[in-house]
Amino acid sequence: MTKKLYWSVGLLSASIIAFQLTLMQLLSIIQWSHFAYMVISVALLGFGASGTLLAITRNWFIKHITGLLPVLMMLTGASMSLIMIISSTVFGSFDSYLLFMDGRHIQTLLATYFAFLIPFFFGALTIGLIYINYVERIGSLYFADLFGSGIGGLALIGLLWIFFPADIPAVISFFPIIAGLIIIPPGSMGKYITPAVLAVTMPVILLFYTPDLPMSQYKALSSALNLPEARVVMEKSSPYGHIHVVSSPVLRYAPGLSLAYTGNVPVRDVIFNNGNWFGPVLEWSAYDTSHFLDYTTNSLPFEINSPDNVLILDAGTGLFASHALTRGVRKVTAVEQNRVAVNLMKNELAHMMDSMYHLPRLSPVSLHSRSYLMSADTPYDLIVLPTIESFGGTSGINALEQQYIFTLQALDEIWNRLTENGMIAVTVWMDFPSRNPLKLLATLVETHENNSNLPVEKHLAAIRGWGTVTFVLKKAPLNDGELVKIRDFCERMFFDPVLLPGLMPAERKMYNQLQDDDFFILVDKLMKGDRDVLYREYDFNIQPSTDDRPYFSQYLKLGRYSKMQEIFGQSSVPFFEIGYMVVLITFIQITAAALILILLPLFVLGWKGGGKLYTVLHFSGIGLGFMFLEIILIQQFILYFGNPIYAAATVLSGMLICSGAGSLISSRLKTDRKNVVKVIALIVFFIFIYVLFLVPLLRLTIDQPLMLKILLSIIFISPAAFFMGMPFPLGLRILSIKNNTLIPWAWGINGCLSVISTALATIIAVEAGYLWVMLIAAFSYLLTLTANIELR
Amino acid sequence: MRIIMILVVFITAIHPVFAQNFERLRLNMVRQQLQIRGIDHKATLEAMRNVERHLFVPQNQQRRAYDDGPQPIGYGQTISQPYIVAYMTQIIDPKPGYVVLEIGAGSGYQAAVLAEIVEKVFTIEIIPELGNRARELLDKMYDNVEVITGDGYYGLEEQAPFDAIIVTAAAEYIPPPLIAQLKDGGKMIIPVGSPFLVQTLMLVEKKGGKITTSNLMPVRFVPFTRQNQ
Repeated sequence: MTKKLYWSVGLLSASIIAFQLTLMQLLSIIQWSHFAYMVISVALLGFGASGTLLAITRNWFIKHITGLLPVLMMLTGASMSLIMIISSTVFGSFDSYLLFMDGRHIQTLLATYFAFLIPFFFGALTIGLIYINYVERIGSLYFADLFGSGIGGLALIGLLWIFFPADIPAVISFFPIIAGLIIIPPGSMGKYITPAVLAVTMPVILLFYTPDLPMSQYKALSSALNLPEARVVMEKSSPYGHIHVVSSPVLRYAPGLSLAYTGNVPVRDVIFNNGNWFGPVLEWSAYDTSHFLDYTTNSLPFEINSPDNVLILDAGTGLFASHALTRGVRKVTAVEQNRVAVNLMKNELAHMMDSMYHLPRLSPVSLHSRSYLMSADTPYDLIVLPTIESFGGTSGINALEQQYIFTLQALDEIWNRLTENGMIAVTVWMDFPSRNPLKLLATLVETHENNSNLPVEKHLAAIRGWGTVTFVLKKAPLNDGELVKIRDFCERMFFDPVLLPGLMPAERKMYNQLQDDDFFILVDKLMKGDRDVLYREYDFNIQPSTDDRPYFSQYLKLGRYSKMQEIFGQSSVPFFEIGYMVVLITFIQITAAALILILLPLFVLGWKGGGKLYTVLHFSGIGLGFMFLEIILIQQFILYFGNPIYAAATVLSGMLICSGAGSLISSRLKTDRKNVVKVIALIVFFIFIYVLFLVPLLRLTIDQPLMLKILLSIIFISPAAFFMGMPFPLGLRILSIKNNTLIPWAWGINGCLSVISTALATIIAVEAGYLWVMLIAAFSYLLTLTANIELR
Repeated sequence: MRIIMILVVFITAIHPVFAQNFERLRLNMVRQQLQIRGIDHKATLEAMRNVERHLFVPQNQQRRAYDDGPQPIGYGQTISQPYIVAYMTQIIDPKPGYVVLEIGAGSGYQAAVLAEIVEKVFTIEIIPELGNRARELLDKMYDNVEVITGDGYYGLEEQAPFDAIIVTAAAEYIPPPLIAQLKDGGKMIIPVGSPFLVQTLMLVEKKGGKITTSNLMPVRFVPFTRQNQ
């Protein structure tokens, strides 16, 4: 039984984490990632709820444990499939975008929370019950739990290469059912035939009936599919996302096209990733002599001079690369981390763009742009960054996206890759109130100051069309001939210069008037004034982002929220930054729910004495600390691997497996508070080592081959992770001696705090930076330390 | 039982869903949302008083039709905030003899407001379901509105030039044929912004071959906190 139980726990944990990650992916496709994050966070409170129920009804569950365990596991698997089957009915009309507009969507959201909570609740109930009943074997059981979770995460990445996300829940659902079947007591199989058949029916139905989950009408893919004769001509699934290629006779793309353009805007197919815009499929030819981007502000660097060697970062579908090739650039390097999209351009869609990706003049690189910058040493005449924002804005949906390409450190690296006459070019959509162009300008000005003693005014040019502004930062000063060319370009295209050496104020609004001069005043303040005062006083956060706080699109200052409400109206303000608002709401919701779940058992267990303070401090501390560190390490490794998938897989699986090993070894330690104190002290020590040395270590080894980097990552992670697997089983063992009725409560507290920590870590990272999250992780473990000293 | 009936009647009488008087709401909307914010174009105000906005929103949204904000109408589209509709109408300064082209009929409400003032309105909607809904509604109310279902990119060359063009379904480019179909001295207006966030408006003017744009911001944002001004 014991061996089977370990296998069973491992299998169950693997399926729970795989199901969680699949739901994240699915909800990100049909709604947005911030919504997926909110739903999953609340659903994971199923862990806390299971602890609450077990704390209240512990004796009944223990009495019936032998019969219950297989059934609970089967229920976990069956409910995974069942909620997918009913989801299109329950959530048919739900749209997360309308949450702030229409109260009826709140009711559907609550139903969504409840539905998705069920499988996690059953799964956690099973594991919690096993921990309570077999606490003497907690070290090995916790190992099976963590090891299974680590493997589950890795397995899902494999599944995403094979299946579409909507098909995966059915596959995963079988595993908890198998886990249940494994532990059926010998000779009792007959009693379980009916529940087993019923449980298996659910994933079988789901296999043959994959529900059509409705996508938000506000997603870019939905809008495209509403167009006449629009159809999906190709689909690809991978851990990079779900790609749709859409074709319609009315799909056109020409961002910020000059009003002087009188030609035709051609129809083209478009690629969407997870339902979001990814890029147009160009109909490009090597014989083209002009490009529609010639009629946009993007063309500014090519008007200034003729770069020979160009680097395009976050190149997407190759729009800017095609422009550079048309402008006769000798060598173009296009860096794009979405390998699946790049392969589409190279193979299936190559015929549409004259096999552009096979030209010797173009070198496509499938890597994160920052990793490429850190590992390559070729100098470039021009480095083009991706366009910031989109026409009309995105309501701050990307507010919490880590944009490592626009941080000060990234710009420093870009500057160092420029030839003596090299240029950095970035285009940004104008917005109101002004945020994106100001933060970008602040970043460019600070980059220049960090790398040059010359006045920035002579190196920076910016021109504005009706919708976009393009900035060019040149390493050498702009000369008179170049200034004439810029002015001539503006004249031909009805653009206005915003920044040029020797610019007259009237020149700034010859063709495109703004309502007032506020934008120009702010631009001038950033160029010449006291920037720190402006950063502090401006109503939005326009201070450059850094690798420690890489949220370029995060502008909302919480302290100015009421002013925004006053000006723009209560219902409009959430749409400034939906991404961040949702995290704040999630945090409030789960904290309130967690508080209820934690306090509820006290009505049964009593409010005082018996080690309750110890339980709260010990298990809150490790719940918070473990997740804080895990989240931050994933962030740090994204740059290292140049790929979020590898980063998440390596950190998540590495941490879980190493922690599992720590848990296993902890079985050999005496149940003694001194041991806990030593373990916690070591964890805190390693966190401080990370604070001081992790980033430099990662920088030092970033150009190593992938397999070596995976190995090095495990070596970096393993010391802390190994010891982080010990406090939970040791704490439960201490409780089993001190007051074993508190074990389920401890399980619930740990579950609740783990969920709270994900939202809290994000808020701290936005407001204070990653360094603080790591320090607070250490502080959380000190709470656990305090609890164990308190026992004295 | 009688008590319950009295209660039902009472609740029905006081509940806004049942008791709303759309005309009163409309007049309030003009007074409290438009005039107070500086809309003073007489024809625009009169049109906003006359057009029954609640008929242009989905049935389940009618009680909120006169609220001071945009409303979803399906297919990812919205009916604009009343103030934005009035502001755009005022900006193009419509006159009785005008021929106006609208790209993106959506609910049909903007076309109805214009139809109250100008000689002829052509409105093009690319999403067939929305176009058909708008046509059904507008055909019953006006004989000077023509709803065309199709791609607005090409405008309507056979009816050009237009005194004014409103592009409510703007993309990241302004179709060159629309610029060509705008009369010399004519105005084109384009709302810019996410559906439920405050929208800015872009006015495109064509004079003697020169094309200029102006950003108009219906909401005044002072970039610094009051203490620091």
